[in-house]
Amino acid sequence: MSTIVALSRRLVLLVGLGLLAAIAFPIFLNVLRADSLPQVQLNADSIEPRPIEELTGTNVTRDYANAWRDLAQALDKNQADHLDAYFTGFAKNNFTQKISDQKTTGVHVRYVDHGHKVKAFFYSPDGGEMQLLDKAQLEIQVYDGGKLIYQEDAAQDYLVLMTPGADRWFVRSLEPIAGSSF
Amino acid sequence: MKAFLPIVIVVATAALVAMAWVQSGGLALHEMRSAGTPQEAVEALMTDIQSRNWDRAYARLANSNDFEKQLFVRDLGGSSGSLRTYSSLQSFRVWPVHATADDATMRVRLNWSSAVGPLDDMRDLHVKKEGNVWKVVWPKPQLPKVPPQVIPVNYLRWDVIGRGATDDWGVQNVDNPNVRITSMNAVERPDRVVIVGEVVNEDTVPAYVNVNATLLNSDSKAMDQEGSFDMISHTLLPKQVSPYRIDFPGFHLKQVKSVRMDVKAMLVPASADPVIAVTDQKMDKDPLGKNVLRGALVNQSGQTVNIAQVLAVYYDANGKVIWVSDGYVDQALLPQVAVPFAVDVPDDVVSKIQNYHVLVNHYSINESS
Amino acid sequence: MLRLVSFCLLLLMPGLAAYAELHPPAQVTAGKGFSISSTGSGDATFYLLAPGHVAKREVKLGQDIAVDPADVKKAGRYLAVACGSGGCNSAAFYVTAAEPDKVSFLLHPSRVRVRTNDAISATALVFDKFHNLVLTPVTVDFKVVPKTGPTISRQVKSNRGVAWMRMASTPKEGPVKVIAEVAKASEARVIQQVASDACNLRIKAKRTAKGVLVETDPVRDCSGNAVPDGTIVSFAEIDADGKTTVDAPIKKGIARTELPVNGSAKISVASGVVIGNEISLGGGL
Repeated sequence: MSTIVALSRRLVLLVGLGLLAAIAFPIFLNVLRADSLPQVQLNADSIEPRPIEELTGTNVTRDYANAWRDLAQALDKNQADHLDAYFTGFAKNNFTQKISDQKTTGVHVRYVDHGHKVKAFFYSPDGGEMQLLDKAQLEIQVYDGGKLIYQEDAAQDYLVLMTPGADRWFVRSLEPIAGSSF
Repeated sequence: MKAFLPIVIVVATAALVAMAWVQSGGLALHEMRSAGTPQEAVEALMTDIQSRNWDRAYARLANSNDFEKQLFVRDLGGSSGSLRTYSSLQSFRVWPVHATADDATMRVRLNWSSAVGPLDDMRDLHVKKEGNVWKVVWPKPQLPKVPPQVIPVNYLRWDVIGRGATDDWGVQNVDNPNVRITSMNAVERPDRVVIVGEVVNEDTVPAYVNVNATLLNSDSKAMDQEGSFDMISHTLLPKQVSPYRIDFPGFHLKQVKSVRMDVKAMLVPASADPVIAVTDQKMDKDPLGKNVLRGALVNQSGQTVNIAQVLAVYYDANGKVIWVSDGYVDQALLPQVAVPFAVDVPDDVVSKIQNYHVLVNHYSINESS
Repeated sequence: MLRLVSFCLLLLMPGLAAYAELHPPAQVTAGKGFSISSTGSGDATFYLLAPGHVAKREVKLGQDIAVDPADVKKAGRYLAVACGSGGCNSAAFYVTAAEPDKVSFLLHPSRVRVRTNDAISATALVFDKFHNLVLTPVTVDFKVVPKTGPTISRQVKSNRGVAWMRMASTPKEGPVKVIAEVAKASEARVIQQVASDACNLRIKAKRTAKGVLVETDPVRDCSGNAVPDGTIVSFAEIDADGKTTVDAPIKKGIARTELPVNGSAKISVASGVVIGNEISLGGGL
C-alpha cells in the first residue's frame, strides 16, 4: 500500500514537472528568440558630408539590428504592431500593407537572419538622415499556411534610409536592390 | 450606597460648571492673564498664529485699537496669492533683546513651511506690561495700496506652432532654441560639491532651459547626475543670462575627475512682461549677523506677480562665478510697489565677491504663459 | 517497346504537366503592368511576393500570367512562385522606380544668424509617384530666394536618390525661401535669417523727476540688421544706495528703462555676452 502511495506521488510529481516544462519551454524559446539580435557590422569610413559620432554609430547599429529582428517577427507572425518600435514612414506603411496582404492570402514569410554588413555612405549635414547599403545574408522561407512554397539562401542588398527619433533611429525606407559594389 | 447619589450629583455639577467656564472663555482668559513675562506673551501670540487662531491672537495685542483685525490677518497670513498664503508657521524661536520692568523688545524668528521649502522671517516685537499681563505691541501693518490707473503693457509675446502629426516628413519644424553654457565652476562646500555657472539664450526666441551635470571619477565613470531644479531661471528670453547651481550632496572635489554638463532647451510660449527692477542692492548683515545680499523688487508692469524668486550670482575679481544663492519672497509684487528681499551669502564667499547680479523668477496666477 | 515508352511517357506526363517554369521580364518599371510567361500545363496557384505587397490567385500554366500595375507599385526585389501538382517553381526579378515625381525636401535650421558660413543645409530625396526612391542620378535644382537681392540657383546631381548642398546665410535678416525642384515636382521651405549679437551697444541718459531715463540707441548687429524686439538688454546702475538692475526687452528697436538715482551714479548696459558703454552721472549730465 505504501509503495503504491509512493509511486503515485512520484507519478504526480513527474506529470507536474512535465506540464511545467511544456508551458515554460516555448516561453523560454520566445524569450531567447526575442532577445537574440541579428549581427550587424557597420562601416562608416567613407561617410559624408558629416562625420559620424561614435555614439551615433553604436546607436544606429543597435537600432538597425532591432529593426531587422522586429521585421522578421512581424512577417512571420503577421503582426504589424512589431513594426511600431523601429519603423516609420514609407517602410512602415509598406510592411504593414504586406502583412495585411499576407493575412488575406494565408501567406507568411520567415527570415532566418545570418547577419548584415552595412556601409554608411551619407549622413546629412544637420544629422537628420542617414543612408546605408546593407549586404544581408538571409534564409528566406515562404509559407502558404503550413506548406513551404519557397526557400532560398540569399545574399540580398538593401538601400536603407534611417532618421533619428527622440531616443532611437528609425528605418524609414528599406529597399531591396540589385547587387551593388561597396 | 446612601452616599453614592449625592457624590454623583456633586461631581456632575462640578464638571458642568467647569465646562461652562471653559465655554465662556475662562480658559483663554486664564491663559492671557498668565502671560506673566514678555517671553510668555510673545510665545502665546506665536502659538495662536501657528494654529491660525486669529481672534485669540488679535486679542493678545496691546494696540488692537490701532488697526483692524483684517490687516493683522493679511500681514501674517498673506494676500494677493503670495507665497505666504500657501504657507504655515512651522516653528518659532523667541529671545529677549532688551527688557525693563514695564516694557521689553523681543526678537522672534519665524520659520514658515511653504511649497518651495522653509522660509525664515525675523521680527523685533515691542512688549509692554498692562497690569499683571504682558501684551505685544504689533507694528501697524503697512499694506501698500496701488492707486487706480491704466498701465499700458505692450511688450512682446511669443506663441509657438509646431508641425502637426499629419504633416509630411520633409515639412520643416521650428528648431529648438540655441542656448549655451558660458561658465562652469566646481566649488567645494563642507558637505557637498556644487557646480555653479551661467547659461545664455543665444537665440531670438524664448527658451525653456534645464541644466544637468554628471560627476565623473578618475575612471570616467559617472558617480552621480543632478539637475539645476529651481536654482535657475528656466524661461530665458532672447539674450537673457541666468545663473545655475547644481548641488551634489555627499561628494568631495577630490573624488571628481571631470564634470559633464548638459543643457537642454525647448521652445515655449512666453511674454516679455513683467519687467521687474531690482533696486538698492547691497551686501549687508541681517539681525543675526549673517551675510546677506539685500535689495528691493519693483514690479514695473500692471499685473500682480504672486510669487517671486530672487537668484543672485556672485563673481570674483576675475569675473568667475563663485557662488549662486536664491530666496523666495513671500509677499506678492503689486504693481509699482517696492518689496524688500534678502538672500544668504556664505561667510567664506563674501570676502571673494567683487561683483554680483540678481535675476528674478516670477509666477503669476493669471499668467497665460 | 513502343508500349513501354508510351507507358513511361504516361507516367511522366503529370509531372511534366505540373512542373512549371516562370519567365518574368529582366526589368520592370514600377506601376507598369506586364506578363510572366510560364511553361507546363494544368492549374497552379500563383504567388507574387513584393516588398510591400503579396498577391495570390489561381492561374493556368502554359499561358502568360498577367501582372496588374497595382501589384508592382513598390520598387525592389519580387518573387513570383507558381505551385502546381508537381511542386513549386519560382523566379525573382527587380522592379525599378518610375520617373521622378515627388521630392522630400529637408532644410535646416529654421532660424539662422546672418553672415554665417555653411549655416544652411538642404537635403532633397527624389521619389517617384509610388514613393520609391529614384536611384538613377537626376538633377535637383535648388533655388534660393532672399528677401532682397537676386535669386541664386544651384544644380546638384542626386546620388542614390539623395541630393544635398550647404550654403552660407546672407547678410540681411528676414525670410529666405529655398525651393528644391525635380522635373515637375517642387517643394519650398522658408528659413528665417535673424540678426547676430548687438554691435556698438550704446546708451544715453536723461534725468527725470523720478530718477534717470536710460535708453539705448537703435540696437543693431554688425551688419546693420535690427536686433529683434523682445531681446533682453540688461541695465545696471550703481549709486550711493547700492546697485539697481533692470532686464528690459527691446521695443521698436530700442530698450529703455527708468532707474532711481541718488547723487552720482555709474550706468552700464549689456545684452547677452555683449557689453555696451558706461555713463557716469555726477551732479548733472
